[in-house]
Amino acid sequence: MANKYLSERNLKFLLYEVGQVEELCGLPFFADHDRESFDMMLGTALRISGQLLYPAFRDLDQNPPELVEGQVRVRPVVRQLLEQAGEGGWLSATFPYDHGGMQLPVMVNTACLYAFASANFSASAFLGLTTGAAHLILSFGTPELRETYVPNMLSGRWQGTMALTEPGAGSSLSDVAVSAVPTGQGHYLISGQKIFISAGDHDAVENVVHLMLARIKGAPAGVKGISLFVVPKLRPEDGKLVPNDLNTAGLFHKLGYRGCPIVQLAMGEAGDCHGWLVGEPHKGLAYMFQMMNEARISVGKQATAVASGAYYASLQYAQERPQGRPIAAKDPTQPQVPIIEHADVKRMLLFQRAVVDGSLALLLQCAKYADLAGHGEGEAKDNASLLLDLLTPVAKTFPSEMGILSTSAGLQILGGYGYTDEFPSEQYFRDVRIHPIHEGTTGIQGLDLLGRKVGMQGGRAMKLLAGELARDISAAGQVAELAEYGQRLQAALERLLEVTQAKQELAAAGEVAVFLCDATLYLELFGLVAVAWQWLRQALVAAQALASGVGQSDEAFYMGKLATMRYFFHYELPKAQGLADRLGESDGLTARLDARLFSD
Amino acid sequence: MNIVVCIKQVPDTETQIKIAGDGKTIATDDIKWVMNPYDEFGVEEALRIQKAKGGEVIVVGAGPKRVTESLRTALAMGADKAVLIEDDGLYGADPLAVAKILAAAVKPLSPDIVFLGMRAVDDDAGLVGPALAEFLDMPNLSVVTKVEVGEGSVTVQRPVEGQTLVLEASLPAVISAQKGLNEPRYASLPGIMKAKKKPLEVKTLADLGLDKAGKAEIAALTPPPARAAGKTISGETAQELAANLAKALREEAKVI
Repeated sequence: MANKYLSERNLKFLLYEVGQVEELCGLPFFADHDRESFDMMLGTALRISGQLLYPAFRDLDQNPPELVEGQVRVRPVVRQLLEQAGEGGWLSATFPYDHGGMQLPVMVNTACLYAFASANFSASAFLGLTTGAAHLILSFGTPELRETYVPNMLSGRWQGTMALTEPGAGSSLSDVAVSAVPTGQGHYLISGQKIFISAGDHDAVENVVHLMLARIKGAPAGVKGISLFVVPKLRPEDGKLVPNDLNTAGLFHKLGYRGCPIVQLAMGEAGDCHGWLVGEPHKGLAYMFQMMNEARISVGKQATAVASGAYYASLQYAQERPQGRPIAAKDPTQPQVPIIEHADVKRMLLFQRAVVDGSLALLLQCAKYADLAGHGEGEAKDNASLLLDLLTPVAKTFPSEMGILSTSAGLQILGGYGYTDEFPSEQYFRDVRIHPIHEGTTGIQGLDLLGRKVGMQGGRAMKLLAGELARDISAAGQVAELAEYGQRLQAALERLLEVTQAKQELAAAGEVAVFLCDATLYLELFGLVAVAWQWLRQALVAAQALASGVGQSDEAFYMGKLATMRYFFHYELPKAQGLADRLGESDGLTARLDARLFSD
Repeated sequence: MNIVVCIKQVPDTETQIKIAGDGKTIATDDIKWVMNPYDEFGVEEALRIQKAKGGEVIVVGAGPKRVTESLRTALAMGADKAVLIEDDGLYGADPLAVAKILAAAVKPLSPDIVFLGMRAVDDDAGLVGPALAEFLDMPNLSVVTKVEVGEGSVTVQRPVEGQTLVLEASLPAVISAQKGLNEPRYASLPGIMKAKKKPLEVKTLADLGLDKAGKAEIAALTPPPARAAGKTISGETAQELAANLAKALREEAKVI
């Protein structure tokens, strides 16, 4: 095990110095908070991460859940964590006081949950699911549903899930087939199957509460006929919990993320699975998107957290492993140097750090938009809401896709050792692979971004984002060493806007298939620009700090920030050009390709 | 039942300690300060006894202003009040002087039990507990892993090699905590918010009519000697290897 899996210094840099989280304390909703309480919360999260979660990092991977006599069993640390999360108030931290919450800014909560996920992603995943499910019930459920379920969930005794996917309805949610038949007694009878339900059954809790999409009998086809239900594993009846005819039909064996069970559920095999409607009929998908959007940001955060663990593991190895000599001085009688002295190893470490810190900065930026969208005022509130909508697919996908490449680079640094389970790198590489898949695949995110988000309200969100970038580019223009990078970002932004316009012209001309066929590439280009922006923001703060004079260790930190920023602009951002070139072409190569040509 | 817990703020055990330019103190630039882990056992035990028996838990710390953070941590865990004896020179001061200062602050609180850690993880002196008991004229129960509070008395366990000593004393008493006493809780988010509003009284040495002059002073701090490189014993056969090993142990290591 490596000694370190995240940087507290970096977390505080992004939260306080770049993110200016204390600004939020000026809003009435956050008025009780200050730097002191944020520090204490973060400090506690770091302790829980280090003392409870990180020691179980390998244990959860090597002893995955088991299905024994219809019950999924998980490792004891899951119960410890859920109890701690309930008692400590972590599950409801961002909720209003009158819902048992602490009105904590999403920004600070994101930093705390990031600490949990970087210590042990599998264990941390149980928490967000319960929080998101409870939030849905609080937002749209009846008072009775709230009282019955939410306190038990937020105390960590009942697990929450999101149950969308079915064997025949994965990315195509409009094909959800689980049925709900009204009984006239306040509940519906649910029947059908759900699949790939994370934390869908386990013995670290008394009960599991599924927030499930189903189709009320006779509902219209497509997304307009989908409703949201609370479907518990055990239903409360006469003050007791009784089985609700909801069974675990299977447990999957996974590549990574092994500590958290993913199950197949069978509802209503005996015709007695009760479900309770949340909100109005046929509006389930819109409600579910509250949880889904939160979950997408959370995926980005988890991917970044895993990549952080991988970075510090390979960094430690590179500092300790002697191998080879300076390339210009190959004297075999001289001692070998630590591999961190080799240029190509430095390149890989820079890549890892650029992905981790750049992604985390983007996620905290989104978290701040979430805080302003929820509790800000006037125009700032509306703008933040639009920016969050626009950036959600980007903040989900860049960390997820780049997480794979950066954990792979981390493994590469360890060479043959990285490929074995003697070191944690291989687990990070496996753990991160889920992220471009769950909560909407990268393909779906691309369609969401190009097909819906950039064009919403006549492209207003895009204009707002361009304005945000322009402000930081202008600030960079005032700093001698950063002006060049401001110009590079400006050029990349202009290419993105050109490509966007060209694509939208295709859409206006009715060429829908060609318009969207390279949406994934468009998302990749967007991610590069967004993260370059976040690196420029970090560099602005670092340059200012260095100019004002800092101590020795801070100097190394800020200079490291500037070096990593330069890496991103010189090694990663140039890829935007190639993507823009391709996106400027409108041949529809893939859309028009005859699938029969894959005959070999 | 009123319980006082004395806490010391120490460098986090993961901090890389460097010796300062004067050769007598540690460089404090990059140190992350935390509550001494042994003192945390004391806070936790005090909160558990309070839950069973009622009363008040007061935490007392001495040192620079930054000690406030550790006191707030104890308040966030559930303690009711805090007292800080603020003085920049108290960190690293003679343990006997510190014990005398703590005793002066603790005495007016009329505690039934005073908890503290059996030692601080920075200087490992282990002196403040017994000295505090002496200055307060209370029984000293040290290196404790179990506490049972009776009527006007307390029974504790102290592990010694191969066995456990069971000690009983009248109250009030000073109890110093050893690892194994309990698992300290983490502060909760509501606890952290409440801690901000709990009373934290700041006193100076002048308020107590004392100074920090002690009888002992640190003459020098030196880092542990660097570890020498290992030696590989070579040989073609097992016999030769064994012979070379024996030779090295006798002639170089001089252990046989």
